[in-house]
Formats: sequence, C-alpha cells, structure tokens
Amino acid sequence: MKRAVLLLLLAMNADAQIVATAGSDIALAQDGRVELFDANARRIWSADGVEAPSRIVAGTDRIAVLDSLANAVQLIDRSTGRSQRVRTGETPVDAVFLGRDLFVLSRDASRLERVGGSAVVLAPDPAFVRTANNVIYVYSRLDGVVQEIEPATMRITRTVTLAPFASDFEIDGRTGYLVYPADAKLRTFALSTMKRGSDIAAGAVPVDLAVTRRENALSASRLAIADPSAKRVWITEGEQSVARAIARGFIRGLLGLGLFSPKSSDFPTGVDRVVSRGSMTVAYDSTTQTLYRLQGSKGQVVARDIPPGAFALTDSGVALWQNGALRLIH
Amino acid sequence: MKPLDDCPLPPGEGAAQQRVRGAHLALLFALVAAPLVAQQPRIASDFEIAQMKQQIERAHDFVSQLSGHLNLGDLYLTRSESATARAEYAKALEIAGHERLSARKASDITRYATATAYAALANAKLGDGAQAFAAAEEAIRYTSGSAKSWNLYSSAMTLLRRPQKAVSAARNAVAIASRELAPSPSVADKLDLAVYEYSLASSLIESGETTEAERLLRTVTSALRSSDFASLRRDVARKESFEIYSSARGDEAAYLSLANRAGLRLASLLEQRSDLGGARSEYERVLELRTDDPTALAALARLSTAGERERYFAAAFDANPFSMALIREYQRHLGAGEAGGAPLSDETTGAQVRKVLVQMHRGERRGAGETLDALLQRFPNNDTLRTLRRETEVTAEAPAFLASKRTNVTPTETELRQLVGALQADKLTPEQRTALDHIVFTSKVTFDAGTTKDGQTIFESGRIGDVRFKFSEPIAFAGSFGMEAKLTYRILGATDSGLLLEPVRLER
Repeated sequence: MKRAVLLLLLAMNADAQIVATAGSDIALAQDGRVELFDANARRIWSADGVEAPSRIVAGTDRIAVLDSLANAVQLIDRSTGRSQRVRTGETPVDAVFLGRDLFVLSRDASRLERVGGSAVVLAPDPAFVRTANNVIYVYSRLDGVVQEIEPATMRITRTVTLAPFASDFEIDGRTGYLVYPADAKLRTFALSTMKRGSDIAAGAVPVDLAVTRRENALSASRLAIADPSAKRVWITEGEQSVARAIARGFIRGLLGLGLFSPKSSDFPTGVDRVVSRGSMTVAYDSTTQTLYRLQGSKGQVVARDIPPGAFALTDSGVALWQNGALRLIH
Repeated sequence: MKPLDDCPLPPGEGAAQQRVRGAHLALLFALVAAPLVAQQPRIASDFEIAQMKQQIERAHDFVSQLSGHLNLGDLYLTRSESATARAEYAKALEIAGHERLSARKASDITRYATATAYAALANAKLGDGAQAFAAAEEAIRYTSGSAKSWNLYSSAMTLLRRPQKAVSAARNAVAIASRELAPSPSVADKLDLAVYEYSLASSLIESGETTEAERLLRTVTSALRSSDFASLRRDVARKESFEIYSSARGDEAAYLSLANRAGLRLASLLEQRSDLGGARSEYERVLELRTDDPTALAALARLSTAGERERYFAAAFDANPFSMALIREYQRHLGAGEAGGAPLSDETTGAQVRKVLVQMHRGERRGAGETLDALLQRFPNNDTLRTLRRETEVTAEAPAFLASKRTNVTPTETELRQLVGALQADKLTPEQRTALDHIVFTSKVTFDAGTTKDGQTIFESGRIGDVRFKFSEPIAFAGSFGMEAKLTYRILGATDSGLLLEPVRLER
C-alpha cells in the first residue's frame, strides 16, 4: 500500500492536464481536447487539442496549446472554438501572443517563430520568452544571454549577457529577473539599457519566480521566489529597491532573524513553483503534488494530488482540475 | 555512472559474450581451458549478468542498485528476454522514484534532479515517451548546467526515437563539458567528454547526419587510443577487465564500454558507406578488446570471404545465439546457398540455434520444432526462440477463408501466419490468389512510429498481433491517430518479414 502511494505521488504528468486562464475564462487541455469554461465553470466549447499538452498560452482572441514532445501547437479561436493544428520547430517550450500574432519558442531548434510568418535563430538552448512594451525577450541558458527581438522585423535588436543556466525568467515592465538554482542567485537587467543589474544572493536553491506586485509610484515591484531546498517562498522587492537591502533580507531570512522576511512563507514540503495573480500567490510542490496558498509566514494547503500544470489563478481564486472535474476555489 | 548507449547498435546488438578478456587472458584460456570451453561455452553476456546480480546483492547504494538493474535490463534485452528486461527497467524506475522522494525530503535538490534524470532514462527504456519526456524536463529545470543531465536526456530521447531532441541535448552536454575542461584536465574529465561526444554521434546517426557523426567517432576512438588514456589502458590490461555495460561505473568500465560502442558505431558507418576495409579494421579493433563481441563477429561474417564466413557465424552465434538480426543474416546466408556443409551440431547453444535455422531452411520443420522445444525448456522466456517456434508452425497451406467466398474477413493471427507462409513459399493457387484479391480484411493493429503533420498521421509499418506488416509506401491518414487502431485493408503479398498491405480505412 505504501509503495502504491509513493508511486502515485511521483507519477509524472503523463496524461497531462493543463489549466490556464484566458481573461476571465478557464482553458483546460487534456486527452487531445481543449475545453473553455466560463468563470463559473460552465463549459463554453470543446475543441480538438494535442496529444500531450505542455503549456497553454492565451491571447485576446486566440488560445494556443503547445505539445513540446510532438512539436505542435493547436490554435483555437476563443469565440468559436474553431481549432487548427500547426507544426512547430523542435520542442516548443514557450510562447507568447502579441495581438493576434503567436510567437513560439522552439528550444531544440534554437528558434523563435511567428506562426504563419518568419523566424529568428537564437542563442543555443533558449528556454523562456517574455514580452514588455511590445518587445520580445528570450533567455537562452547555454550562453546566459537575453536577446531582445523586434516582432515586426523578427530581428535581434540588443543582447545582454548574464549568466548561464537560469531556471526562470520574469519581467516586471522595467526590469528582467532571472533565478539561478546552482549558485543561489537572483540576477537582474534593465530593459531600457539592456545592462546587467544586481547579482543578489537568493536563498538556497531558488527555482521559480513570480512578480507578485508591479512597480508603481509608491512602491517597488515585489517578487516571490520558490526555494524547494529551504522549503520557503522568499518575498522580496524588485530592482528598484536597494540591492543591498535585498541581499540583507535574504541573509536575515536564512539566519531566521525575520527582519526582512515577515512576508516570506515556510512550507512543510519543498515548493518549486510559485504563481501570482492580483492579490493571490500560490506555491506548488511537484513532488507531493500539493498546492499551497501563501498566507503570512506559513503556507496553507489549498489542494492535494494536483498534477503539475493542472491549476491556474483566476480573478477570484484558484481553478484546478481534480478527479476529472474542474474545481473553483474562491 | 556513465550511461553510454541506449541507442540500437548495428546488427548483432551490444553486450558481450563468451570468455575473452583482452589478449592475454584469451590466450591463457585457449591454452589451458579450451576443451572445457568447447564443451560448455557461455553466452558472452553471462559474465556481466552474474556481475550485475552480485552488485545488486552486495551494494545497496542508489548508483549500484540503479546501474545494476539498468544493465541487467539491457543485457537481457540483447538476449531477447524482453519480459525479464522490462521487469529490470521497472525495478530501476522504482529505485529512482524512491531516491527522488528521499532527496526532496532531505532538501537535496541536486540528488533529486539526478534521480529524476535516471527516472527519465528508465521510463524511456520502458517505452513510456510522455513520462520520460516529463521527467527529463523536470531534471533539466534544476540542472540545465549539468552535462551529465543533458547526456541522460539525450539517451532517453534517442531511445524514444526523437533524434532531433537527442541531438540538441547531446550538443548541450558536449558544449558544457568542453567549457568545463580545465587547462590540465584529468583522465576522468577527458573520458566524460568522450562519452558525451559519443552520445552526440549516436543521436546524429539516428537523425541521418552521418558525416558529423563519423568525424566525432573518429575523434573519440583516436582519443581513446592516445597517450591521454595510456594509464587507463594499463589498468585495464593489468586487471584483465573486459566487461561492457551500457551504464558503466568507474573509469575502466567506462573506457572499455566506450571503446567498444564507439568502435562498433564507427565500423557500422564505414560499412554503410562501403568502406569495407575500414569497417573490417574497426571491427577487428573491437575484437582486440573483447574477442567475443557478437556485433563485431556478425559483421565480420558479413564482410568475410565465403571460406571464413561460417567460422565467424559460428563464433557470433556462440557469443549471442538469440540476436534476431544475426539470425536473419544467417538465414540470408543460407538462402544464398553459401552455408555449404553447415554442421548440425548440438555442442553449444549457438550451434543448436544454427541447426534450427538449417533445418528450417531445408524444410525440416518438425526437426526444427523439436530442437527449439529443447532450447525453450532451457530458455523459457526467450522471444527469439518463441518467434522461431512460431515460424516452424507456419505451413504452406492456405488459410480457410480463401475457400469460404467471404469478402469481409477478420483474420486470426494464426491464419495470417499461415497466409504469410503460403505467400512466401508461393503456394497459392490462381483461384486462391483471386479469392485473396477480393477480400477486405479488418484487424486491430499496432503501428510502428508515426508522424503527425498538417492534420494527418503518417504510418508505414506495424503489426497485427505478432505478424508484421508494411505498406508499399508511407501512408498519410486524415486525422490524428495513436499507435493502436483498427485497420481495414487488402493483402497485396508478403515480404521477408511479414505482409504487404494496402490500407482501405483507419479508425480509432
């Protein structure tokens, strides 16, 4: 019995279910189908999907479901559910919409392609694509570079060299942030100048990163960093604050002084993903498949036995696919 | 632990045989133990299997247990014991799962990532593509700077027949290891880089990029013969090491296994581009390290003059009697009338299998069946022997549906085997041929790898039960289909390995 439980917990997301929000609606990809639900979990439509969905990306009028293993993307019209399968380069791992245009990052082809249009060759092992101010940024792990791409021309306009082998990359509008599990660093660069910013100590093994609050006139951006080794989500302020203060915050947090970390949250297991939307931030442990809500200094269990990717944050809570049904938790 | 090769080797398959272990020991055995050996020679992988079982029994750490079961799985697979092999891979997966959980509990993320990468490899060996891919991605998420992780990723993708993914991962491994090579690298560092270059070459071969693959393999084989590895070669000679493993532990084992696999792959490439002298020379180099390597022996049988051929075949069959590739090669050899006075010996398992093939060639199905039954008592889980046994049951008699005037038939596997035999032996009457042309068949089929493009799924071959079939050319079916489907078809004829079909309709 014990062994069966163990294997269940360790099961990879073979029959993958991927949940994502599309505006106020919720998209679910599984078993070769894509379904769109409204905010009350009522099904709007069901369309052809991909065999092994790995990611859903939503635009204003289209939804894209990636199949990294099969090198395909299913493009679905949000209003009608009409779907179309498109072949991609090798191993599409990430994608973004800019208006109606879908840009797919094919990692093992080292290429960013505009679906139905041109492509640009990137530095080897491109892993993440992000957008800010209608410009595309791609981080490639092997050379540790972020390349800025002008979508209209699909040309690389600027490049900044950081360090190789980051495990996540996010942008808060002015600053790019990358986390490095191997040397426990958060590294930054300025989008305006494409110059390197700070290298900041970041816990023990920082793996995932989310911008939980965007910079405004009164306050800096706020970041959440999942650290499975420390079993903690670090909360810190973005580049606008003094880098030394951030570093000091991490050090104090690590020492347990709590001087900078009252908002950091500890968990009973090692969380390795963190997702944020509006005022809600959740953390996820893919080993025990447990989803937590960040609440003060302790994580609160939201749901257990949730496969990786089978949850998303909505305007009013969490949507998750559990035991064959879509559940909304407010 | 260095996973060396999870790609199919050239005909004859990897692993090892009999007793040879470097020139000195081979000579010693030839002088002292020859009569004993002649009476009861061992299959080449016997020694490695015993070693791995001993390792699993004695050492309980993660690496020993995992490599033990992975190697056992590979060794059994080369001996056509697929059920036993799968059980070993499943055990390896379970061990990797325990290690992952234990590492996460201990907050040891590097250990977790390593165990996850091995879980990907075990899943790939079990043929579970989605699980393997998910595990490989999970491992890389934490260790994208690890050449070892990328090498495992590449091995898993090669096993899953995803050569472009494998090439990309292998390139990452080589790039990282090359950058990390210190100004005065250790032998172990150089060996690691050679292993990654070999993996890259293997995946390039799978993707048809043979020029770069050959260049890499020449680099690897030259490096292994260079002074850089002189001390390692001395250790190998002093310890009379000879074992070949796919998951090698320690520098000596890795050196030997790499030299074997890289040599075989290079030889195979040379053979494919008709550089037969070069190929022969590389195969002979492989035999210098391991005189009973079945793949090299089978290749030399293929490349030899008629006079030498039978001797090499005999040695190859003694090394691995159960290689289907070798068996088909020998059947072609018999079909070409080259066997001459092939001996009907019972001295070794290899000789007994050759005897079966000669009996089948002569049409002595009953005798062949009896020989196989005796072998199956000793090797009850052997897929090759079971396949041959079924083939002896195939008669040239036509199946009953050819006389039934039915135009829609759902044939049994036995009927299809019967039909294959009749077609191959050209035993159908004109009336039976006409009847066959009028029948539309329906069967549940399992396709080999298919590709999906533009809303179509392309298949070329597969099997109905254990009866293989192919289409005359790759066929694109509208829609998205899995490997399992219901096929409506006509039978056009038989090939060497099964039926030639014309598809009419495919349903999920």
